Amino acid sequence: MIRRQFLKKSLGVAAAATAAHSLSSCGGKKDASGRGQITFGSYADPALDILKEVILPEFEKVTGIRTEWVEADFSGWYQKALNDGQTKAGAFDIYVMDDLWVPRFAGAGYLANLDEMGFQTDQDFVPSALDLGYWPPKTGLRQPGIDPKAKSTLYSLPLISDVQLFFYRNDIFRNAAPATWEEVLRMARQKSDPTKRQYGWVTRGVKGNPIVNSFFVLLHDFGGDIFGENWKVVLNSPQAVEALEFYLGLLTYAPPGVAEFDSDQEGATLLQGNAFAATMWTGWCPQTDDPTKSRVVGKINFDVPPKNRNQVAKLGLFMAGIAASAPHRSEALEFLKWFSSPASQLRFARAGGTPFRTSAFKDEEARKKSRWLDAILRALTLGVPSPRTSDWSKVEDILGTELNRALLEKGKAKEHLDAAAAEATAFLKSAGYPVG
Amino acid sequence: MSAPAKPIAETLGLRGGWRGKWLPWALIAPMVLFALALTVLPLCYSLLTSFQEYRLGQPPAFVGLQNYQHLLHDLNFRGSLGTTLIFTIAATGAEFVLGLALALLLKEEFRFQGIIRSSLIVPMVIAPVVVGIIWRLLYNADVGLFSFAVQALTGKSLSVLSSTTLALPALILVDIWEWTPFMFLLLLAGIQSLPQEPFEAARVDGAGAWNIFLHLTLPMLQPVIVVALLIRALDAFTVFDQVFVLTQGGPGTATEVATLMIYKSAFRFSQFGYGASMAIALLVLVMFFSAAVTRAFKGKA
Repeated sequence: MIRRQFLKKSLGVAAAATAAHSLSSCGGKKDASGRGQITFGSYADPALDILKEVILPEFEKVTGIRTEWVEADFSGWYQKALNDGQTKAGAFDIYVMDDLWVPRFAGAGYLANLDEMGFQTDQDFVPSALDLGYWPPKTGLRQPGIDPKAKSTLYSLPLISDVQLFFYRNDIFRNAAPATWEEVLRMARQKSDPTKRQYGWVTRGVKGNPIVNSFFVLLHDFGGDIFGENWKVVLNSPQAVEALEFYLGLLTYAPPGVAEFDSDQEGATLLQGNAFAATMWTGWCPQTDDPTKSRVVGKINFDVPPKNRNQVAKLGLFMAGIAASAPHRSEALEFLKWFSSPASQLRFARAGGTPFRTSAFKDEEARKKSRWLDAILRALTLGVPSPRTSDWSKVEDILGTELNRALLEKGKAKEHLDAAAAEATAFLKSAGYPVG
Repeated sequence: MSAPAKPIAETLGLRGGWRGKWLPWALIAPMVLFALALTVLPLCYSLLTSFQEYRLGQPPAFVGLQNYQHLLHDLNFRGSLGTTLIFTIAATGAEFVLGLALALLLKEEFRFQGIIRSSLIVPMVIAPVVVGIIWRLLYNADVGLFSFAVQALTGKSLSVLSSTTLALPALILVDIWEWTPFMFLLLLAGIQSLPQEPFEAARVDGAGAWNIFLHLTLPMLQPVIVVALLIRALDAFTVFDQVFVLTQGGPGTATEVATLMIYKSAFRFSQFGYGASMAIALLVLVMFFSAAVTRAFKGKA
C-alpha cells in the first residue's frame, strides 16, 4: 500500500468512526432503555451521601433514567455552575446549590421556572424550606430592580433540609436542653475547665460566612437584624450590640484559637468531648453517634436553639434547581417530582436522610433511625434564612471581618458593628440600594 | 570527491519566491495564534471587563474608569497590596538566604548526598493546598506542634493563626518551608556551573573562604541570583493557595493579600468588573517591578 492510499484509508476509518459516534449521541445521552441521563453538579458534602448512595440508584431502577454525579469543592462548584449558567453550556441538568445561591442563579436566569414546567407543591412541604426555592422572595425585602408586585416563582426545591441545631451534652445539661441563652452561659461559667480542656461553648470564629452564621442566631434572638426597612443597615442597632456582647461573653468559655475555627474544628471539639454546647449544622448529627468519629456517643442531644427574646434557628438548605440550559429538562423534572413524592421522601428519611416533607419527618421508623429529626422539624419552623439578595455575600464578608476582629479583641462590640454598618451601607449605596 | 552539500533551504526549495518569504510564517502561525488565544485574548477580555459594571444576569454596562477610581479610594485594596509586599519581600529574602546557605553547604560531593538533596526538595513537590492543610494542623492552638512547644516552655497556649501579629509571619514561614528548595536548586546549579580556575587561583593566592565567597562566588553568581529572586518574587506576589486554606485573609484583614481580594470580588461577590480592575492593577505593578529589576541588572542576568 503506498503512502497516499494508506492516508486515504486512515482518514476514511476516522471519518466513519466519528460519524458513528455523532449519530449515536444525537438527541442527548440515551441508554439502552431509551431514557436519558441526567447530570447533577454539586459540591462535595457528606450530607449528600444517602442521596447519592441510596436514592439515586433507586431512581435509576424505577425510571430507567441514568444519573451522573459530578462534584467539586464548594467554591470550585460555585464557579463551575456560574460558568455553566452564564455560557448556557448545558453541561449539567440539575444544579445542587446552597440556598444563598438561589437569588443569584434565579435572578440571573440560570434556572428553569418550575411553575411553568408544571411542578406542583402541596401542604405537606415544610413551608420555610420550600420558600427558599422562590424568586423573588415570597416575603421580606426585594432587591432593587425587581418589581415589588412581581409574582414569586418556584425555581428550586430543597434537597437536604439543613438548619443549625443546638447540640448539647446531656451529661452536663442533665435535665433537659437549656431553655435560655443565659442558662448556657451560666453552665459554661460553672463547668468550664481549660486545664482539662473542657469548654462551655464552641463556635466558628473564622472571618466571613462561618462567624456570621454562628452569630446570626443570637443576633435575631436578641431582636437584631441585618437590614431594616428599605435595606437600611441595622446590624449596629442596640439589640445587635447587646447580642454581640453576649456572644463575646460566651466565647470566654471557648477553646483557645476559636477565632480560626471553621465548621470542621468546631465539630471535632464537640465530638472529642471538649465542649458542652454549640449551634451546628445537621450534617454533624449522625457523626455524634458514630463511635469511630465521636468520643461522646450517646452523650449529645439536639434541640432548637435556646431563647432569649425571639427564638430562631438559622436555615442553610441544600437546594436543587434545573439548569435553564439543561439538555434533559424533562428527565430532570421527573427526578424532582419523584424525589419530592411522599413515598420517596419517606424512603429518604428512613435511610437516614433529612427530608422536606412534614409527613416524612413525623414517621416513627425514620425518627428511630435519626433521633434528631424532631429537632430539625421544630428548628425549620423557627427558621430564618440569610437575607435574600444576590449581594449578601459581600455584606456577609464585611460583617464577618468585623465580628472576627471583635472576637480577637474580646470587646468593642459597638465600635466593630458601627464599622461594619458604615462599610456595608457604602457598598449597598454603590450597588444601587435605597439604604433607608 | 563528492560535490559540496547544498544548504537545506535550497534543498527544500525555500530560497526566493513566495514560498521562501511566507512559508516560515505560515508554519509558525498556528502555534503563535494558539499562544495568543491562550494569553493575550483573556488579558484583553479582562481589560475590557475592568471598564464594565458586570452583574449576573444583566448585560454588562460600560462605566469607563469608575472601577479604577473606586480602586484608588479602596483602603482594603491598598492594605492588601501592603500585605502582599511585606509577604513577598520577607519570604523571597529569607528563601534566598537559606537557599544560598544550603547550596554552599551541599555543593561538595559527600556520602548520602543524593538522599539529602532529594529529601530537601520534597516540600516543593507537595500541592500548595496540601501544604496549607499540614501547616493548619501544626498551627492548631489546641493540638498543634507550635502551641505544644510554647505551652511546654511558657505554660501558655499559643494561637498563631488567631493573632494579628503572628498570622502573617506564620504564612511567610510556610512559604519559606515550601519554596526554599526551589531557590536551593537554582543556586546549586549556578554554583556548580561556575568555572573553577578563578577559585583555585584565589586559594593559591591565600584568599580565605569568606573573601572567596564575597569577591568571587557572589559576583559570578549574580545572573543566577537575579533570575532566582525574580521568579520567586513574582510567584510570591501572586500567593493565594496557602492564604486561602490557612487564614482566608484573617484574622480581621491581617493576611488579606491582593489575589485573595480579587478572587473574593469576582467569584464570591460576583463583582467581575471590579475584580478585573484589581487584577489589571496588580498586573501593571508586577510588570513595573519586573521591568525595574531587569533594567537594574541588564547584561548581568
